[in-house]
Amino acid sequence: MLANLLIGLREGLEAALVVSILVAYLVKSERRELLPRIWAGVGIAVAVALAFGAALTFGPRGLTFEAQEAIGGTLSIVAVAFVTWMIFWMSTAARGLGAELRGQIDKAAEGGRWSLVVVAMLAVGREGLETALFLWAATQAGTRDTVGSVTPTWEPLVGAMLGILVAVALGYLIYRGAIRLNLTVFFTWTGAFLILVAGGVLAYGLHDLQEAGILPGLHNLAFDVSDAIPPSSWYGTLLKGVFNFSPATTWLEATAWVLYVVPVGALFLLRTRSTRPARPSRQLQEH
Amino acid sequence: MRKTPIAARTLVASVTALAVVPMLAACTENASSGEDGKKGGDARTLSVGSSADACELSATKAPAGTLSFDVTNTGSDVTEFYLLGADGLRIVGEVENIGPNLTKKLTVNAPEGDYFTACKPGMVGEGIRAPFTVTHSEQEQQVSASDQELIDQAQANYRAYVQDQSAQLLEKTKEFVQLYEGGKDDEARGLYPVAREHWERIETVAESFGDLDPKTDAREADVDFAAGEKWAGWHRIEKDLWPQGAKGYTALKPAERTTYGDDLLANVTELDKRIQATGPDALTYPIDAIANGSIGLLEEVANGKITGEEEAWSHTDLWDFQANVDGARVAYEGVQGLLEAKDPALAEELTAKFDALQAVLDQYRDGDGFVLYTALEPADTKKMTDAVNALSEPLSKLTAAVTS
Repeated sequence: MLANLLIGLREGLEAALVVSILVAYLVKSERRELLPRIWAGVGIAVAVALAFGAALTFGPRGLTFEAQEAIGGTLSIVAVAFVTWMIFWMSTAARGLGAELRGQIDKAAEGGRWSLVVVAMLAVGREGLETALFLWAATQAGTRDTVGSVTPTWEPLVGAMLGILVAVALGYLIYRGAIRLNLTVFFTWTGAFLILVAGGVLAYGLHDLQEAGILPGLHNLAFDVSDAIPPSSWYGTLLKGVFNFSPATTWLEATAWVLYVVPVGALFLLRTRSTRPARPSRQLQEH
Repeated sequence: MRKTPIAARTLVASVTALAVVPMLAACTENASSGEDGKKGGDARTLSVGSSADACELSATKAPAGTLSFDVTNTGSDVTEFYLLGADGLRIVGEVENIGPNLTKKLTVNAPEGDYFTACKPGMVGEGIRAPFTVTHSEQEQQVSASDQELIDQAQANYRAYVQDQSAQLLEKTKEFVQLYEGGKDDEARGLYPVAREHWERIETVAESFGDLDPKTDAREADVDFAAGEKWAGWHRIEKDLWPQGAKGYTALKPAERTTYGDDLLANVTELDKRIQATGPDALTYPIDAIANGSIGLLEEVANGKITGEEEAWSHTDLWDFQANVDGARVAYEGVQGLLEAKDPALAEELTAKFDALQAVLDQYRDGDGFVLYTALEPADTKKMTDAVNALSEPLSKLTAAVTS
């Protein structure tokens, strides 16, 4: 039970975190009217993932291993781009808060509003296919015939669902906590946190592509701490779920992580440190 | 500039990408499971039971084509299942996240050849491995007659090379052990890198015997002393012959020397026995294994030899380096004829890069051998690394090119 619960928790955590930070941000900045877009993005991702998972599980055609890894890897890298955009969009839009510039910021952020749907969608959909395949497999386990020691059981599905529920609950707690912070602190912390999350997603995506043989260097490990942090332990699960930390990390993953986190982190710190409110780039042409 | 349409387009594009990518991606027929209630309706559908300490397959053979493995986790920890290439490194296919009591399916297109299956309970380590064979079938792509000739020839040549090197390794190991056990240290030191060359030339084949490799070629750093593992083999004796770098090292007594020496010889003898085997136990060298062997040997260079980790005490890393390159080159030349028919540009590039790497290595020759690793400056190792990397990149395409 616990093992399946931990898988559900791991798959659900990252999505729950990104979505809860987005929601907290919109609520804090009094843009509740944009919330439906987030839920739309989440809904689309869940529906698409479940539909494909079902088609691949029960249909006549399956995906080759390479294709599955290539989809996961590519979506991860796209997700990194969108989450990075989200970090900077939040910190830019934040400067107009409470000022009379709000209306203009909203206009400028109109493009951003649509991108919100995509961020939410990618956060959930990135691992959606893998999770959906896992859930359908768990469903099959409940309805299969008895062969030898293999008996039908609903335990895996219950475990996985509980894990996902725990992830959602944790996301909700983060949201409650974030709501209480003052704005400056909120942006600094959530931004820094999301940069670490995105760095992990990038490394994870590259690892998928290495496993599929699209990128080289799968067996050149930078470090391997599997003994100290077993991937199936609860803390291994949390580290993987939140930061996509892999106990056995290849050089390519480690290098990509550093090359992403350091410059983006530096840029982010520079921007949050400069307290000068940014002037909107375009003045309204209204007389 | 109105932003909405652009943003909307981005959105639409992303949604479409999410939906269409899987459709465009390589799809493959799901193998149908047994119909009419017949168990294991066809030979390409296998079932795997993965428990905490076992990895049970319904069969260890299947005809070439689209195989499907239904992997059921009968243990209490999360498990993974891998189908690996003949080198034990290349992932042909894998399924992850198989929770307890779950069954997940791995579907792969597998051509004829040797493979390994592995279950990884707890998702760590090498996993529980076993050899797996994919036999010839009509479903496979037909190879043209001239290609088949080239393939047969390449396999025969490579087998002869491996057997020859193994025989020489055995002969020189006997001699080396005799010198070492007889206390003739200087002569033993002289023979050590020369004997090991034969091992390094066929390292990928030697390593495929998971039981012999750790006993023979383990470095001190790779041994888990805490878990009670014992350290023996080439490098244990190496440390005893070159104790200068080891702090507080106690030299082995003559009786201990005999123990370690005899153990090394016994393992090398067993290795040679397996390599020279004929009949049903004979080793086969499928073309992709030969190509992967060439790639693997070059990876060995990059991972251990250039860093000076392999010969931590004797510093004779460059002998191993050269031997790995020899082996990689022989393996490559074995399939060169095939490659020239399929991708002449790649063949030309590989030949040039091999020559360039050899030219770099030749600068460090000293008498019959090489300079010691300790005599190298960072600039020297950088030069070597660059030459190795320049070769690895095109070499990594070799397997795909010759099996296409």
